[in-house]
Amino acid sequence: MAPSEIDAPTYTETTWFCCGTAWGPCGGTGRGACGTCNSGSLQCAWPNTSDNCFAITRPDRCGDTAIRRTCGHTFYITSRCNSNRVTVRIADCGPQTDLWCGERTCCSNGLCATNRLMDLTPAAFSRIGSLSAGKLPVRVSSEGF
Amino acid sequence: MVAWITSLLPAVVGGVLVWAGAFKLAGRRAAAVARRGALPGLVGKDRAVPVYRAVGGVELAVGALLLLPPVAAADAVASTVLCVGFLGFLGYSRAVAPESSCGCLSDKHTPVRWRSFARAAVLAVASGLALLGTAHWVDAVASRPAAAVAVLLGAALVVVALSEDLDGYWLMPLRRLRVRLRHPLGRTAAAGFDVPVASSVQQLLRSPAYLAAGGWVRSDLLDTWDEGEWRILNYAARYGERQATAVFAVPRTRYEPAEVRGALVDEADRSVLWQHAQEPVPA
Amino acid sequence: MNGSPLDRRRFLNTAVLGTATAVVGATALGSVAPEAAFAANRPDGVGGGDLSAPDPNFAEGRITGITGSMLMVAGSDRTLHRIRLTAATSVWKLRPTTLDQAKVGDGLYARGVRMGDGTLAADAVWLNIVNLVVHISSIGRDVIHFDHHGDRVVGHVIAGTTAAVYNDTPAVNDLSLLKVGGHAQVIGAWRPDTNEVDIATVYAAA
Repeated sequence: MAPSEIDAPTYTETTWFCCGTAWGPCGGTGRGACGTCNSGSLQCAWPNTSDNCFAITRPDRCGDTAIRRTCGHTFYITSRCNSNRVTVRIADCGPQTDLWCGERTCCSNGLCATNRLMDLTPAAFSRIGSLSAGKLPVRVSSEGF
Repeated sequence: MVAWITSLLPAVVGGVLVWAGAFKLAGRRAAAVARRGALPGLVGKDRAVPVYRAVGGVELAVGALLLLPPVAAADAVASTVLCVGFLGFLGYSRAVAPESSCGCLSDKHTPVRWRSFARAAVLAVASGLALLGTAHWVDAVASRPAAAVAVLLGAALVVVALSEDLDGYWLMPLRRLRVRLRHPLGRTAAAGFDVPVASSVQQLLRSPAYLAAGGWVRSDLLDTWDEGEWRILNYAARYGERQATAVFAVPRTRYEPAEVRGALVDEADRSVLWQHAQEPVPA
Repeated sequence: MNGSPLDRRRFLNTAVLGTATAVVGATALGSVAPEAAFAANRPDGVGGGDLSAPDPNFAEGRITGITGSMLMVAGSDRTLHRIRLTAATSVWKLRPTTLDQAKVGDGLYARGVRMGDGTLAADAVWLNIVNLVVHISSIGRDVIHFDHHGDRVVGHVIAGTTAAVYNDTPAVNDLSLLKVGGHAQVIGAWRPDTNEVDIATVYAAA
């Protein structure tokens, strides 16, 4: 695979999730698949951190080939609907991509995102949008903003 | 009578064991199910799939022994030991990985709950009681066909009712029917044509005005009110070093993100720092 | 700012809907394009730092005390946070609200700016907010039973607030298109120490 294909940015929807020894219905989630996840850290979940992870999230069912990225990999996330951005590291496996195949969100500038390939901790999501929004279209890159 | 009924039990237990064994050995997603449950923690990641398949083989063998003649006490003993072993595994699963799926009979994600325990307990008791049976189940059916069918059907219904894997075939359709008949959330549909605030926020987040001003916004929605055909949404903002308020006007009853207006104001000195649309609203 | 709330509303309405007579612009204040403002005011989280460590400009935990406009919060990592709220701090508790709705025991996320004295000057506070991906087990009158990773969660429909988004179309009040057996994403307010949530928005396929 050519380097440009490996590192090409992905346009996807992101939601947010809680992890660590958190309050509420998140209480039993633990520290995530990588053992380092915290709601208060700038981290994310990715649907292809390992074979086991891929077998659960199945992004291929949505036609997405989420490239294998392992725990600790850095992503640069930019909101498609404004200029907000955040740097995050993979700390968990997720989201459940194959539940939401075909879901599409567009901004007024015509920029859209399809499918759910990204999940951010509350700390990370709140840097690019309000937690009450639930999901946002974003640009995901491994190269930079 | 008791002996006749207990003669039928191997058919029920054997049927369930053959089904479980067949899935574990030949099911399309059996390997994925094995890797996702509590089994890897018990036997190691590399051994989970082989052990899962081996258990399936044992289930298939014991199930076949129960279903096929002749009647042997050893078959019922083997089945009882297997079912008691399952109860133990379910307890381990619940303690160690409560949200993991049992993977007992299908690839449906069904966390271990009271129904899983009840089903395993019922099968263990049925296996134990089968020791009291004297005739092969086929002969028992032949001797009283109608009664036998009733007993077997009743037993099958109990197994189905305790199998969360199978809820999609009967429980969910029943619940959907109840919703169709009773419309429990029908009041929300009849609540009128009020547009929820969530819709206005959605419209705002997709608007050119928010695209232009979003980088200044610091808070979540501060407050909101309706002003004629507009819904006003306020956010705290920072304009350089100045504390400001970002105020947006969203069409209240139409979905037109391009028409959303925005302004950045300093409430302290009542100055307008920035505006998205300069044209005034027609009177 | 002087003036009544009505006066304030009138000013804000005019600012956004009317023609501005005097707009103080970028020339007077220097470069205040959103991107520049973003970078200047949010130095963390962009390009470096220990991303596994907690973000100092974010706090999570449960409220242990409320003194005036200061919240005392015990983090799940046993950090103690002091969070200062102002008139510019948004407070979410199922809907946009005010500090007086905060109660000891509420779960909290807060984003703001860490001050020199260790307090967090909050821009936004979300109380008891949860974002759950669930399956709908059953639907009753004003209540929806969810299955969340094997746990039962009871969702309460709150008239006037709960909204549904079907296939990413604009939110509506009508929840009657939700399907038993379907999956959904639920933004809601957890009722502390229970398995119940008040539903703010539910995202589902129609």
